[in-house]
Amino acid sequence: MPQALLNGLVSGLLIALPAIALSLTYGVLNFANFSIGAMITTGAYFAYLLNVGFGASILIAAPLAGLGLALVAVAIQRSVYRWVGSDHITLLVASMGVAFVLENTMRFIYGSDVRTLDVPVARPVQFYGLRLNHEQLTIAIVSLLSMAVVAIILKRTRLGRAMRAISDDAALADVRGIDRQRTVDWTWVIAGILSAFAGVLIGLDGTVEPLMGANYLISVFAAAIVGGIGNPFGAVAGAILIGLIEETSALAVSTSYRQGVSFLILVLVLLLRPQGMFGVARITR
Amino acid sequence: MISYAVSILTFVSLATLLGFALNVQWGQAGMINFGLAGFYAVGAYTAALLSKANVDPIAATAAAIIATAIVSGLVSLATLKLREDYLAITTLAFSEGVRLVLMNEVWLTGGTDGIRDIPRPFIDLVGGDRYETAFLGACFVLILVVYVILERIIRSPFGRVLRAIREDDVVAATLGKNVLAFRVKAFAIGGAVIGLAGALHAFYFTYIDPSEFVGVVTVYAFMAVIVGGKGANRGLLIGACTVMVLLEGTRFLKDLVPAMAAHQAASLRLVLIGLGLILILIFRPGGLSREYRLRVAGQLHDPSSRA
Repeated sequence: MPQALLNGLVSGLLIALPAIALSLTYGVLNFANFSIGAMITTGAYFAYLLNVGFGASILIAAPLAGLGLALVAVAIQRSVYRWVGSDHITLLVASMGVAFVLENTMRFIYGSDVRTLDVPVARPVQFYGLRLNHEQLTIAIVSLLSMAVVAIILKRTRLGRAMRAISDDAALADVRGIDRQRTVDWTWVIAGILSAFAGVLIGLDGTVEPLMGANYLISVFAAAIVGGIGNPFGAVAGAILIGLIEETSALAVSTSYRQGVSFLILVLVLLLRPQGMFGVARITR
Repeated sequence: MISYAVSILTFVSLATLLGFALNVQWGQAGMINFGLAGFYAVGAYTAALLSKANVDPIAATAAAIIATAIVSGLVSLATLKLREDYLAITTLAFSEGVRLVLMNEVWLTGGTDGIRDIPRPFIDLVGGDRYETAFLGACFVLILVVYVILERIIRSPFGRVLRAIREDDVVAATLGKNVLAFRVKAFAIGGAVIGLAGALHAFYFTYIDPSEFVGVVTVYAFMAVIVGGKGANRGLLIGACTVMVLLEGTRFLKDLVPAMAAHQAASLRLVLIGLGLILILIFRPGGLSREYRLRVAGQLHDPSSRA
């Protein structure tokens, strides 16, 4: 049981990265980005290309993959989302189309084969009878550092203030002279980097394949909604909760239904506390 | 060649039915259904399992329609006081759940092996050699029936309330409409049509397995609706045909570019479909045909104005 809790905590920290990305784009752009799974996959393949294709160390490949995906995300914003209009349902459908394009482009280039990143194998760390393997340690460190950086950006920088202002009331932010386009672009940069990191971390712990991100889609959404969608700090708490429940539920239900557990949590939260754990109930249209 | 055309037209018929369903749920009521494939599977498996148990095919189809409608209504209950985004993820998660059940409950669904030798309805009556053509004819008749029923619903006061809810649920609620009840009914009506399509799918292919009910099916249906014009049933047939032509046409890509491997051609097709969806959303958001109400409104005012 303590081992399951530890594993759950780590997998929660992993889910937290794309959950933050989802929450940020939801807050600033006001639509649910269904391509987040495909973004994770694309980021992982970028790292794979640099790491295995060009032989770069994963320490160089991962940040470059983050940068690459950030550029791709901004390009998609400028070429697709910006022109689709402001209706949040149409944007949502468009993001599904984007997911389809990204995922199948990766499949076109690399096929459906399962691939692994080239990293040295290390012994698991043992303490008090608990095992923590190297990949899990990396996940925890990278995830906590990224969260700290995002928190600083949100709370301490001009960009973060602009993001929070738009997410609070976009019209008011416009009136106050906040540059919406620029803020939106930077939001995609952050979302791209976080998704790519998540992709690399999933690839480190498992394999790189076209559906790797899509498999996390429901957990990521569940985390963001449980935490109160649009609230990045809530998303972290939601992600850890989802990770813990998914891992510990394996003790009770068959592992083949692990993904089904997030679905149940999602439905329960939507019915009982639709604003999420940390969301504030608001009258919205 | 004729049999090829017949099979393509049967696919188009199934896609049209799915498009009709999506047009009620999304086009009229503004409720996104990203789990269409899951509901489709519910219909197909219900019909298949019942006919394997020697239930009359019409009764099995009816059961598939009712089961899918009930399941759809239940899933849409998650929209209780919520934005439509949540329904999108809930339905997507639902269809994943359906897939898990289909793959793991081998005693019921045969797992990944699926269900084979589903008896074809009325095969003694029609005979084996003309069966496909007769089946296509039956599909056309059913499409016509569903079209007439849906058009009646859309033009009824019920349909008007659905559009009001789609445009602004708070206003609709203020006017005393029970928004949740209307939404659940709209989703269930769409579900019934998906159930019918699922049953036809099972009877036509006589073999079903979980890999047939994946997200691609949902994307095709969305594509058909977007091309045909959201909310407009008449454009849907054109939409479904266009999607099928695109799908079948891109099948020949492989022959044009000999260096391409089969899996590459398959994924390139899917990339093109995704791109097509995005391009239509950007350049032709209204689709080829217009919704009934907007069409009428356009004739009264400026004919060039678009919704």
